[in-house]
Amino acid sequence: MMTLLSRNRIRGVVIHAVLFVVLGFWMIPQVYMLSIGLRTPAQAFDAALFTWPVTFDNFVTVIRDNPLGGIFLNSLIITVATVAIVVAVSSLFAFSCAILRLKGSMLLYTTLLTTLMVPLASMVLPLAILLKTFGWVNTYIGLILPYAALGVPFAMVILKAFMEDAPRELFEAARVDGCNAWQTYWHVALPLVRPALVFVTIWQFIVTWNEFFLALIVLTKSEMKTLTIVPMQYSGFYMANPGALFAVLTLIALPLILLYVLVQRAFVRGLLAGAVKG
Amino acid sequence: MRAGTAVQAAKRRSASKASTVYLFALPATLLFVVFIAYPILWVAGESLYTGTADGRAVFAGFANYTTILSDPTFWIVVRNMVLWGIITIPVQMLIGGLLAYFIERHTHALRGFFRTMFFLPVVTSVSVISLVWVQIYAPYYGIAQEYLKHVGIVMMTSPIGDPKTAIYALIVVNIWQWTGFSMLMYIAGIANLPSEVLDAARIDGARGWRLGVHVIVPMLSPATKSLLLLGVIGTLQTFPIVHLMTGGGPNRASEVFGTFIFKQSFVLGDTASGAALSVIVLVIALVLSLVQIALLGARLSPAGKDEP
Repeated sequence: MMTLLSRNRIRGVVIHAVLFVVLGFWMIPQVYMLSIGLRTPAQAFDAALFTWPVTFDNFVTVIRDNPLGGIFLNSLIITVATVAIVVAVSSLFAFSCAILRLKGSMLLYTTLLTTLMVPLASMVLPLAILLKTFGWVNTYIGLILPYAALGVPFAMVILKAFMEDAPRELFEAARVDGCNAWQTYWHVALPLVRPALVFVTIWQFIVTWNEFFLALIVLTKSEMKTLTIVPMQYSGFYMANPGALFAVLTLIALPLILLYVLVQRAFVRGLLAGAVKG
Repeated sequence: MRAGTAVQAAKRRSASKASTVYLFALPATLLFVVFIAYPILWVAGESLYTGTADGRAVFAGFANYTTILSDPTFWIVVRNMVLWGIITIPVQMLIGGLLAYFIERHTHALRGFFRTMFFLPVVTSVSVISLVWVQIYAPYYGIAQEYLKHVGIVMMTSPIGDPKTAIYALIVVNIWQWTGFSMLMYIAGIANLPSEVLDAARIDGARGWRLGVHVIVPMLSPATKSLLLLGVIGTLQTFPIVHLMTGGGPNRASEVFGTFIFKQSFVLGDTASGAALSVIVLVIALVLSLVQIALLGARLSPAGKDEP
């Protein structure tokens, strides 16, 4: 018994050690990015992962010289609006399929699902032409609505599955109590699928915040650009000054990383809850 | 009398219900029609026309398609996409699956820490990642050539600057970025394995590798199938890493569908061939997806809970 216990403990220590080593290698790109951002101009081109001493001058410079706040705001407006529309629209649709069971809703559901098999690469040209026709180039709405249309099917799949798993008696009881469809949706269905709503919100936020292809084509004016598409500009601008370039890249990557660290527990909980009924 | 009014009231209610409940389905349908279905129909139609010098569109049948298919770049793209898919998808599954297994079954206090850290590349802006990797690969001052020479790998030039290695160097970046996603999908699968089955297997003497290979791997097949399906679609829409790191070069050696469509449509302004390419990518994606759904029962959601 003793030997078994201590063997388990040794195995645990070894597995942790291996995981830490793998993680150490896995984190090299991020560590390297931060490390170059913290270098003095003299060390900027050293072929080393770490250099000493470190300086925060690059961060001060890039924050002072660049309208990062405005770019951040563009990303935030587009992302928050997209997430809000996706969550509202997909939960309404999921409710109409799973609870109201409207005639024809399953056919519609299957049709909308085909969106998930459409690679964005084949959509950029037609979407670009459509947005040009609408006069929506360089506008927030020109990204928000296509993003929402592309995001709804995935959210709808998750929310519909959760609503179907909820006890039907609750919806029956709401009907008997005189709730109409809208009240049932708001007071019964949405609270029941909360973990799924949280999961869908976080995932849609990540996807929208980091979307590159469509944003590159739709946003050409510099005051409209989002955090995801400005790094190219900076790579030309700070070509001779890697310290500043990687400082600004660190700042660009930071908001979503921090947000994910804050919400990862709720995100994984939603993911695990979704898989219960394999 | 009272019964009569009640019936009437009920009828009125159901009539008004019938009209308003469809509002639940309306917004999603509208978004789909305007921003998915209409653009696809438009691009399919456009791919059959060709522009003339005076700006008129002339019906061209499949001429745009034959032009694309006889372009040698198209076949470089096909080769690159096949390489991308057959390397990226299994490697991500293998590393992601192993990480998920050890994190879920052998860590406790640090489980949340490992899950989060390995997922961070997924939430790091892809344009930032691309520029960091350009720096890593750089000759003279990059760290790849500096450290890899200690293990016997000598890089004279940047691997993304050599037509023979460029596509593989980009695949490495892609694997690095998305392995955390595979890991999380497998974590969801492992966390929800029925413990009775695992206990039964253990009583039957299955341990370690045998438990993993003969019991856990088969039980994770829904997650594996989802990852395969998502991996194929993800491969076909590859764009930012290639666009930002090599631009499809050198000499078009790392061209993928995303960069090819981008160049034809927005750099050359050749809408006709851009449209034909878009349709080709769309058809490939639909055929490969439907084949997987029909043959493997693959599912489109990460949780593996919905129907395809």
